Amino acid sequence: MTDQSEPSDRLLGALVRAARPAPPLPPRFREAVWQRLESAQAPRRAASVAEWLDRAAAWLLRPGLALAGVAALLLVGTAIGVVQGTNLADERAKQQYLTAVSPLTNR
Amino acid sequence: MRRSLLILLAIGLASAAIVGLTSALARHLCAQHLVRPGDDLAWLRREFGLRQSELERIRQLHEGYLPRCREMCERIAASKQDLQAALAASNGLTPETEQKLAEVGALRAQCQAQMLRHFHEVSQAMPPEQGRRYLTEMQRLTLGFHEQFEDTMSRNEAGPHGHR
Repeated sequence: MTDQSEPSDRLLGALVRAARPAPPLPPRFREAVWQRLESAQAPRRAASVAEWLDRAAAWLLRPGLALAGVAALLLVGTAIGVVQGTNLADERAKQQYLTAVSPLTNR
Repeated sequence: MRRSLLILLAIGLASAAIVGLTSALARHLCAQHLVRPGDDLAWLRREFGLRQSELERIRQLHEGYLPRCREMCERIAASKQDLQAALAASNGLTPETEQKLAEVGALRAQCQAQMLRHFHEVSQAMPPEQGRRYLTEMQRLTLGFHEQFEDTMSRNEAGPHGHR
């Protein structure tokens, strides 16, 4: 029976395919497929940003690191202040000299 | 995620506050301790890297110049008062007010000449290169204002005075 039915099945299959031709793909089909794939991955990316933020916050809140960070910030602030203070003192000393020697100076 | 974001924001703000406050405090303390109110020559010593002997010579010149400068200031102030009184007493520009104006101008010129003479003497007491730099800087600071003012007047062709 199999031997007899195989050619007829093939024929039948060919007839069915011919009767129902595959519709043409819509325009930009491939691009649409990739867009859907990318949008499916987007929540994962958002989740990874959240993970990164959590990790960064936890890392910065470690006591040793927090202490070192505060010390570094104090040093940076002091250094900036010393540079600015020296310039300011210099400017004041210059004005003091000019005030003493030149009553006509534009101050 | 939101909690972590808030923590990171708080850390950023706290860091900025620490740097801002520390630098403001250090600036204030530094500026206060580096300026000695009684010493007019502290800037000269620092800016021109003067030796003690040079500074002493300049101090002598400075102390000799100050009474002359003060006297000149008083004469200019008195002359300006006279001018103001003359202007208030007259309706327009009279020969008397013109004379007072000329007197104020002449006193200012004398004051500038005396000042420049002093700057020249001080520059002679410095090492040559520093002396040149001092003289240039002093001329720029004491005469520059007038030059800048006059420059503005001559550049501004459509100005109210109509100078060309």
